[in-house]
Amino acid sequence: MTRRRVAITGLGMVTPVGNNAADTWTSLRAGRSGLGVIQSFDASGFPTRIGAEVKGFKPERFVGDRKLLKLASRSHRFALVAAEEALADAGLRPEPHTCHRWGCSVGAGMMCVKFEELQTVHRLCAEDGEFNPAGLLNRDFPADPIAFCRSQSNTGLALLTRYFGICGYATSVHTACASGGQALGTALKVLRRGAADFMLAGGYDSMLNPIGIGAFCLLGALSTDNDTPERASRPFDATRNGFVLGEGAGFLVLEDLNTARRRGARIYAELAGDGNSLSSYRITDSHPSGDGPVQAMQQALADAGLATEDVDYVNAHGTSTVMNDRSECAALRVVMGKHLERVAVSSTKSCMGHLIAAAGAVEAGVCVLAIRDGIAPVNANFLEPDPDCDVNVVQGKSRQMPIRAALSNSFGFGGSNSCLVFQQPEDL
Amino acid sequence: MSHASDVCITGAGAVCGAGRTVDAIWDAIVCGHSAIAPISRWDSSEWPARYAAEVTNIDSRTLVEDRKLHKLISRTDLFGLYAADGAIMQSGLPAYRETLPPEAAAHFNDRCGVFAGSGGGNYQNNYDFFPLLSMAGGSIETFGRELQNSVNPMWLLRNLPNNVLCHIGIRHNFRGVNACITQQCVGGALAVAEAAAALRVGEADRAVAVGHDTPLEPETVLHYHRLGLMSEDTLRPFDAARRGTIFGEGAAAVVLEASAQARNRQPKILGEFLGSGCATEAAGVVEVRADGEGLARAIQLALDDASMSSDSVGFIVAHGNGTRASDASEAAAIHRVFGSDPPPVTAFKWAFGHLVAASGTLDLVMALRALKSGIVPGVATFRASDPDLHPLPVSADPQKPRSDVALVLSRGFAAMNLALLVRAHED
Repeated sequence: MTRRRVAITGLGMVTPVGNNAADTWTSLRAGRSGLGVIQSFDASGFPTRIGAEVKGFKPERFVGDRKLLKLASRSHRFALVAAEEALADAGLRPEPHTCHRWGCSVGAGMMCVKFEELQTVHRLCAEDGEFNPAGLLNRDFPADPIAFCRSQSNTGLALLTRYFGICGYATSVHTACASGGQALGTALKVLRRGAADFMLAGGYDSMLNPIGIGAFCLLGALSTDNDTPERASRPFDATRNGFVLGEGAGFLVLEDLNTARRRGARIYAELAGDGNSLSSYRITDSHPSGDGPVQAMQQALADAGLATEDVDYVNAHGTSTVMNDRSECAALRVVMGKHLERVAVSSTKSCMGHLIAAAGAVEAGVCVLAIRDGIAPVNANFLEPDPDCDVNVVQGKSRQMPIRAALSNSFGFGGSNSCLVFQQPEDL
Repeated sequence: MSHASDVCITGAGAVCGAGRTVDAIWDAIVCGHSAIAPISRWDSSEWPARYAAEVTNIDSRTLVEDRKLHKLISRTDLFGLYAADGAIMQSGLPAYRETLPPEAAAHFNDRCGVFAGSGGGNYQNNYDFFPLLSMAGGSIETFGRELQNSVNPMWLLRNLPNNVLCHIGIRHNFRGVNACITQQCVGGALAVAEAAAALRVGEADRAVAVGHDTPLEPETVLHYHRLGLMSEDTLRPFDAARRGTIFGEGAAAVVLEASAQARNRQPKILGEFLGSGCATEAAGVVEVRADGEGLARAIQLALDDASMSSDSVGFIVAHGNGTRASDASEAAAIHRVFGSDPPPVTAFKWAFGHLVAASGTLDLVMALRALKSGIVPGVATFRASDPDLHPLPVSADPQKPRSDVALVLSRGFAAMNLALLVRAHED
């Protein structure tokens, strides 16, 4: 039995550099930064006061159901809008006679209670700092069922399946920064095994709030270049000093390649392979040798039936932390060998920051557009090479070049590594 | 006669209010003993919903020995790691690995998958910020400035939803394909389904699948109560007098192996995985369809996946969470697939509560235990069938299975439905 092949026929994005895929791609090609001083709350006291926020976002212009939007958190709204764009782009929607064959696979952010809601519980139950549950029985406690629903781990998935009428396979995964990549990998597998014929797959996240920023500040993972936000994210540069937290969503429509051809769909690229490994080293890092990410990339290439020589571009995880970038480059060296110098490598986190659970999904979309246009987007802010990151970084400006196959890496806290392989449709 | 299964189950572990071994939990079920009691973790005397099946009298260090690890994980992770340890030890995989030369052992590790169904987070995690909020007195500027003087620097790492995945990997050096599924109530069952799917296509040779959760916290209990989902004191699945669900906490895990791989080392086989089906109803965040349409489809998909007809099913372990709407639609779904003569139906939540993300995995482990014993345990709290429900063969007394195949159902928010089929293994 020949294995099913999977085409990407729709794209949608909401990112710090654009509220749709086209605007995001224009910004990334130009190396335009979406980083700045945090506007959504007073971050002046935090060690890191910068982030990559989504700007001028108006979900009600794209999602007609107001009641549904009430149930949606900020990140769920990103998801609904990006998914709407992806489906419109694909020219395909679940219909009553196809909805059972539609699935949905999402990489969702951590449970995030709204800061104002946490402040309410604090006021009623813990004025002195110590939690006393009796306060919850106070009549002033709103116990708002909508707020509760919003906080459930699969609420984003529920809203997506409800709004678009998806009735088949559905899953929500979370492996921190690898979530988006793993959600797409899951979608690929579900399509291959015939558990669905169409998948809406992607990721969404927003941790740009006092708790989210605080949590990463505590770990010392964020860049503190508060005076030069646009320069703060500089993956692979010798002076890099941490990542910049972003937010957003990315969604793709995946379907059987033959079905897509039959309906005359525009095929952006083939999602040709998925690799997935566990570093089992430390919670926050992979081994400096790249062990862990190595296996993910090797598996992805083997899964796609491609040789290293077929790869022209790698959209790196490239968070701009000292350890990640070093370990990722070591892994690329092991996997690519001599071919590495011919592979263009860039991290678009240099422009849009780290979208955490959405990162892998948005960056998958970036790979797809890179293949379509034959452009490897620039790794902004790369000035000083690091001998530990000896890869062919796309520096200065984006590079026009034919891209036959592209890899997208996503490595998460907790040690999950995801690598996706995208292939030029003309080669199909 | 169905084909030989390509995936077998060689280890199981569990912890919940009813016990900390698979056999202890099974014994409680068979004896009709429920662990549901007034909540002791906080003063619940004034609470509108004050019953739960708590894991009590357990020194966390006896669950997971690694002292340093306790600083890096939360209660739900502790349960997950304990259950996974139990399943992995029972499978005999670590001992087998020791017999391998170093290169083969490294390959072995790369071919071990890990799949977790995680609750995804608790309200209480955020309460670690309360002292800081008190200090800040409403000023976010102060909140930011004093952050590092107040909150544990490891706060985020302690609360990662994928901690169990991460630490199973580190503890057992499992390094293959993996997923952490944050799919509310069906997360644990979906972890099993995905692990089996990965083995079938050769992405791994063996995998541990674990579900873990601790929904039992004041805010969650209150919210469930306000949604009308909580029973006061007893969980009575499918009963005319059922009034809602009751929380439990804990974890359960299984080790699955590609049968061809397992044959190399001749482990004791607890059961065979036959198939799974997953379907949603696009009904909303907490709503379910009254007619059970999505669950019926999930069951049919699982039967198709197993190349089996409905009359091969020996008994059903229902989700049976005890709420009015879920049980009614579940009965409707069973009726849709099995007609007027379904096989014996049981449910276990009356004994150890609703473990949310862990519930499907724990039900599966108990279904395997039931297959071993050849009995379908009674639902001890069941008194009278509900005339408004499609009739189901539910009983307070044990029943006889019709065959050695068990169907396990798992449902959750987002109108999610999952069905798993397993069979007893014949030596």
